[in-house]
Amino acid sequence: MPKHTNDRLQGTLDLLILKVLDRAGAQHGYGIAQRIHQATSDSLRIEEGSLYPALQRMTHEKWLKAQWGTTDSGRKARFYTITAAGRRQLEEEEQRWLALTDAVNKALKFA
Amino acid sequence: MSPFRRLWNVVRRRELDRALQDEVETHLALIEEEARASGKSDDAARQHARLRFGSPVAHREQALDGVIATWVESTWKEIGFAARRLVRSPAFTIAAVLTLALAIGANAAIFAVVERVLLNPLSYPDSDRLVTLDHGAMVFNLPQGMGITRGYYYLYRERAHSLESLALYAGETATLTGTGEPERIGLTRATPSLASVMRVRPVMGRWFTEDEGRPGAPPRVVLSHGFWMRRFGGDPHVLGRTVALSGVSHEVIGVMPASFDFPDSRTEAWAALQVTRTMGFGIWVYNGVARLRDAVSVADARTEMNRLIPDVTNAFPGDPFAIGNSTMLKAVAATRTLKNAMIGDVATGLWIVLAAVSLVLLVACANVANLFLVRSEVRQREVSVRRALGAGRGGIAKYFLAESVLLSAAGSVLGLAIAWAAVQTLVAAGPTTLPRLREIQLDRVSIAYTAAMGLLTAVLFGAVPLIRPDRFATTLNDSARGNTAGRSRHRMRRVLMAGQVALALMLLIASGLMVRSFQKMRNVDPGFNPTSVMTLNVALPASAYKTRDTAFIAQHSILDRLTTLPGVLSAASSTGLPFSPGGFGNTVFVQDRPRDLNVVPPAAIFQAVSERFFETMGIRLLRGRTLTHDDVENRQQVAVISDALATRLFPREDPMGRYIVSAAPPAQPGGPPAPEPLRIVGIVANTVTRTLTEEPGSIIYMPMSIAAGPDIPQSALVGPDISTMYFVLRTAVDPASLSASIRRAVDAIDPKLAIAQARTLQSLVDRASAQMAFTMVLIGIAACVALALGIVGIYGVMSYIVSQRKGEIGVRLALGAEPGTVAAMILRQGSVVTGAGAAVGLVTALAGTRLIASLLYGVSPRDPMVFTATTALILAVAALACWLPARSAARLSPLEALRVE
Repeated sequence: MPKHTNDRLQGTLDLLILKVLDRAGAQHGYGIAQRIHQATSDSLRIEEGSLYPALQRMTHEKWLKAQWGTTDSGRKARFYTITAAGRRQLEEEEQRWLALTDAVNKALKFA
Repeated sequence: MSPFRRLWNVVRRRELDRALQDEVETHLALIEEEARASGKSDDAARQHARLRFGSPVAHREQALDGVIATWVESTWKEIGFAARRLVRSPAFTIAAVLTLALAIGANAAIFAVVERVLLNPLSYPDSDRLVTLDHGAMVFNLPQGMGITRGYYYLYRERAHSLESLALYAGETATLTGTGEPERIGLTRATPSLASVMRVRPVMGRWFTEDEGRPGAPPRVVLSHGFWMRRFGGDPHVLGRTVALSGVSHEVIGVMPASFDFPDSRTEAWAALQVTRTMGFGIWVYNGVARLRDAVSVADARTEMNRLIPDVTNAFPGDPFAIGNSTMLKAVAATRTLKNAMIGDVATGLWIVLAAVSLVLLVACANVANLFLVRSEVRQREVSVRRALGAGRGGIAKYFLAESVLLSAAGSVLGLAIAWAAVQTLVAAGPTTLPRLREIQLDRVSIAYTAAMGLLTAVLFGAVPLIRPDRFATTLNDSARGNTAGRSRHRMRRVLMAGQVALALMLLIASGLMVRSFQKMRNVDPGFNPTSVMTLNVALPASAYKTRDTAFIAQHSILDRLTTLPGVLSAASSTGLPFSPGGFGNTVFVQDRPRDLNVVPPAAIFQAVSERFFETMGIRLLRGRTLTHDDVENRQQVAVISDALATRLFPREDPMGRYIVSAAPPAQPGGPPAPEPLRIVGIVANTVTRTLTEEPGSIIYMPMSIAAGPDIPQSALVGPDISTMYFVLRTAVDPASLSASIRRAVDAIDPKLAIAQARTLQSLVDRASAQMAFTMVLIGIAACVALALGIVGIYGVMSYIVSQRKGEIGVRLALGAEPGTVAAMILRQGSVVTGAGAAVGLVTALAGTRLIASLLYGVSPRDPMVFTATTALILAVAALACWLPARSAARLSPLEALRVE
């Protein structure tokens, strides 16, 4: 099962999506984008379209589950929720992220 | 998501794309809404959305590629893992690949034969519209095989609407002289219409014109591709050259394509059959072939021909042969498709062999499936771990299917190599009665078939461990300790084991029946003694030997030379031999017996022979005497007849001294004389005629000096033409060592004569049973392979069951069970399964051997001896395969057994 651990940027996006869904429950693509913007106070800018390849891939990895539904304004949209496998993946990614940022912090301090 | 679902995703890319598009549009709309809410204009909002989102098309594409790439990538990885797993257990891998290769190879090879011989026996355009123009006569108990006469040919040509075109042909052998050593070649004389019936054109030069098919036209010849290459080295300037065929020079006008070998592969050249309607009705010496009009069935054509047959007396008014045939013979049309006519006897045998190798493939699948089951139990832990980590059923299926696909791919590749070798052997050793035998090869169709077989086997045995997927739901805890497996866990294995026994038994029974038939056939008394007899055939060209008497002198001089060769004990000549009965048959009357026109007299084969023929052949004299030197030299009107004919003609009288006469219309003034009556001087034992299994033929042996010759036409019906004769030499030395001295003996009479068909009488007998031997050997091999695979399968399953029950057996032994009791328990378990399998096999065989009844000879398809012997064999072998693991179970030491835990 591919875990994309080598691809940091992609891993970061995965981590953010998983985190958002873990916190906020079922969300559609726009909702996920909104929450990422809010959570990072707009400091992390992503092209919202790039969410979709990630969402597709993560659904196929069984980290997410997708279901069709309607938005508050009555539009058709796919709602994503995190699965048990997704939570495990999130945990793993978080550990790895923390370990990495820790290492980078140390390096910045002493370099 | 299952692998199939993912594969489906690849297929329905468009649908996925539409769903994504909906999703993306919603997203864009939501951004626009937000922008408008903050006071932007519609246009500005749209622009803002595009900016934030990026290119919808690019992202959509990327998302789709992701889905598909993930699937391909993970499948590829799974196959890589599977390959590594297989390499790590070489014993399993080698056993599985070899088993599959053997079975797939056998299937591919037999399919290659079936594909060429049964599915595409004819290489002509629209060959399914080609039919034979054959006839039968119920009065002779001959439903087919009489061929056709000129009369019926012209009748159909003029009046039959169901036939688009038709042709007459007749095969002969011609002596080629002028270039190198004289050689006998197969020559087919055909009406010029043959090329249009067959829809073929020469690759070089031209075919015959209608004018060349009329009597008196200059002789021309068209060469077969093979003959042109062999004899003329593919000379591009061969057109216009002349070749001497039986002493007549023929101009070469064309070369046919390599694929054209009508009517059979022995044909090396074609000449025009020069016939006209004015020659009259004639006799049954031709074969016919026709092309049906569109939308006309074979049955329609036969109906129309049967309706036309009585009209022949109107079409040929006053023709004595037409009248004779109408009143006495009552011919019926026996038209069938050319394909049927060519492959008729071969078809059943080949289909049965294909069925047999398919059964072997099933046995092989069962074996590999069993190995797989064992593996899946052993891998229970790994599977459980995968399951715990979130692998779905699809993932587990992929885990096993990846292995089975790899194994069957390897098996198919190796199988193709085996098939290639097998096809070479079959082509070299197969009976010549197989049409297009030499063209058999592993072509694209066969390779595609093999690939399909490989895939099918992969699914068959790969799916077996998946049949009870709940097994994979077992927890890690369950698989950690090797408790005795429940009964149900072995059920699948037992079913496979019983199935193997059943299949192997069915094949054993089929091959047992074939072996018995073959024995019976080889025990048929041919009526002569075939050991140490050399035969050869010499034809005198009519251009040099113009009369019967000159032909007689030449043939007899050759015989005299051959008789005096060192190593020759006795020599004789005849126009016909067993399996080559010669070309003359007619009905016979008993002289001085009132002729009842309502009763059709029996037909007999006429053979013109020299003195000492019966002695040389070893044909037993039953009554009277054989033909003497005086009979032959002084043209005595005498005959020796076969026992079968004596019984038919004289059921209640003494045939000795009676006269018989060949039936013929009254002699025409100026025409050939009517046949003279022959006095019966002896009766000899029956001999086989065309095949070993046919009823013995009625044969009249007459002195060669009173038969027909070049100056006495066949229509005179006095006997066979002695221009072409077989010589038989009973030898004291190896018959094959005589060929050089035989050549010299013939040269001494006429060096322009070619010797053909020099072979031993024994080889003729062997060839007559070759077809059955071929089928027998193939089915026998299939049965042996099935049996061997079955034994390995039973042994494997029983050993595995014992190894799984080691703990339990150890407890039993520790508690005081006798080793014998333990062994008996295992043995009993095995026997129940093999017994059930054998019962299923027996019942299926009882119901199914009808299918091979037409291949059998002298054996009932339910022959009790074969059924008993094969069942006993398989039960004994199965018991042995169970006994070895049972013995090892009994020999377990309780301590050792319990330590396994």
